[in-house]
Amino acid sequence: MNDFLGLITYPFVYRALIAGAMISVCAAVLGVVLVLRHYSLIGHGLSEIGFASLSLSSALGIPPMYIATPSVIAASFIIIHISRKHETSGDTAIAVASSAALALGIAVSSLSGTASNMSAYLFGSVLAVSDADMWLAVVLSAAVIGAFIVLYNRLFLITYSEPYARSLGINTAMYQVIISVLTALVVVAGMRITGTLLISGVIILPAVSARIIARGFRSLVIIAGAVSLVAFIAGLGLSFVVNIPAGAGVIIANAAILIITRIFGGRP
Amino acid sequence: MSEILRLTEAYVKYGDIPALSGVSLTAKQGDMIFITGANGSGKSTLTKAIAGLLPLSAGTLTRTPRMSYVPQYEEGDRDFPASVREIVLTGTQRPGNFFHTKADRQHAEAAMNALGISGLADSEIRTLSGGQLRRVFLARAVCGQPELLLLDEPCAGLDAQTHETLFTILRGMLAEGCAVVMVTHDISDIDGIPEGRVIRISAGRILTHE
Ligand SMILES: Nc1ncnc2c1ncn2[C@@H]1O[C@H](COP(=O)(O)OP(=O)(O)OP(=O)(O)O)[C@@H](O)[C@H]1O
Ligand SMILES: [Mg+2]
Repeated sequence: MNDFLGLITYPFVYRALIAGAMISVCAAVLGVVLVLRHYSLIGHGLSEIGFASLSLSSALGIPPMYIATPSVIAASFIIIHISRKHETSGDTAIAVASSAALALGIAVSSLSGTASNMSAYLFGSVLAVSDADMWLAVVLSAAVIGAFIVLYNRLFLITYSEPYARSLGINTAMYQVIISVLTALVVVAGMRITGTLLISGVIILPAVSARIIARGFRSLVIIAGAVSLVAFIAGLGLSFVVNIPAGAGVIIANAAILIITRIFGGRP
Repeated sequence: MSEILRLTEAYVKYGDIPALSGVSLTAKQGDMIFITGANGSGKSTLTKAIAGLLPLSAGTLTRTPRMSYVPQYEEGDRDFPASVREIVLTGTQRPGNFFHTKADRQHAEAAMNALGISGLADSEIRTLSGGQLRRVFLARAVCGQPELLLLDEPCAGLDAQTHETLFTILRGMLAEGCAVVMVTHDISDIDGIPEGRVIRISAGRILTHE
C-alpha cells in the first residue's frame, strides 16, 4: 500500500490517476443512459474504430487525437442512426464496423512497423499518458460532466420514454446526436488509459452494478459514478501490484464489484 | 375564448392503410371533448396525431405547445429504475427550461397529492400496481399545467374512488380554462361532465358531433 502511495509522486502515475479518475466517472454516468437505452454495445464498436484511428495516426506520425476524435464521432452517428432506422440491425452494424476497424488497425500497425504500440493501444498503458493526454482527458471529461448536469432532466426524460418527450415538444433527435457525441468523447478520452478493447467495459459495468443497488434514476447515476471511481483506483493499484495493464486491472475491479453487489445487494 | 386546438381534414396512414380519413376537430379554452368508438376505430391514432407523435399524410394541426398527453398504454420500460416523483416531475419539462423550478416541484407534489400517490413518491415505478402506475401518469400530465390535456382511456384500470378523483381534477382544470380531449368507452364518464361534447368515430371518420 505504501508502495502504491509512493508511486503517486511519479508524474506518469499522477497523470494517469487524474485523467483516469475523471474519465471513469463520466464514462459510468453516460453508461447509465446507454445501458438503459439498450445501446450497451456502442462503446465497444466505437473503441475499435478508435483503435484503427490510433494505429493510422501513429503510422502517419500525426497526433492520435486529431484522427481519433472526428472518426469516432462520425462512427457514433452512423451506428446510432442505423440502430434507430432498423431496430434490430444495430448490433450487426456494430459487429461489422468494429471487426473491420480492428482488422484495419492491426494491418496498419503491422505494415508500418508500429506494431509495438499495438498492445498499449489495445490494453492501455499509464506510461503512454502524456501531459497533453491528461489535459485532453480532463477537458473532455469536464465537458461531458458539465453537459450531463445541464441536460440531466432531459436525458432522464428521453431515456425513460422518447415518445413522451416528443409529446412535450422536446427535440429528441437532437438529444440523440448529443448522446452520440458525448459517448464518442468518452471513448476517445478513455482509450489511452484503459485501452481500446476495455473502455466499453468502463462505460457499461458500473451502470450494471449500480442498477442492482440503486433506488431511482438519480441514485443510479450517483452510485454508478462512485462505483466507477472506486473500481478505477482499485484497478490501477492492482495493475501496479501484479504488473498487468491498467485497463485489465480496472475491469477486473469492476467485475469484482458487480459480483459482490449481485451476491449481497439484490433488489427485493 | 381562445382556440387551443384545430385539426383540419387530417389523414393518417400506417404504411398504406388509412387509419384516419379527413378528421376535423377544434377545441377552445375550457372545452371538454369525449371521443368514443369501437376498438380499432382510430381513437388512439387521433390522440397520437394531436400529440404530434404521428405525421399527418394530409391536413393541418395547430395547437398550443403546452399540452400533456396520457397514452393508452404505458410507453416506458416497466422495469425502468426511476422513482414515482422523478417520473411525475418530467411532466413539467418544456423546451427551453432545463432545470426544475421550485414551482415545478410544488406542482408535482400537489398532483401526487391530488391523485393519492404522495405516499409512493419515493417508490420505484417497477414496484407499483397497474392502477397506481396509471395515477402516476395522470399526475405527470396534470402537473405540467397544460392548456390542452389529452387522455387516452385514462379510466381503464382505475378504482371507483380514483375515477371520481380524476373527474374532480378535470372539472377544476376545465374551470381554469384547460381544454380536455378524452377517449372513453364509458357512458358514465360522459355523464360526469354533461357540458362535454361527444365525438363518435368509426373506421377513421367522425360519425357524429353532438
Ligand atoms: N402501429 C400501427 N401499425 C399499423 N396499424 C396500426 C397501428 N396502430 C394502430 N393500427 C391500426 O389502426 C386502426 C386504429 O387503431 P387505434 O389504436 O387508433 O384504435 P382505437 O380506436 O384506439 O382502438 P382501441 O379501442 O382498441 O384502443 C386499427 O385498425 C389498428 O389495427
Ligand atoms: Mg386506443
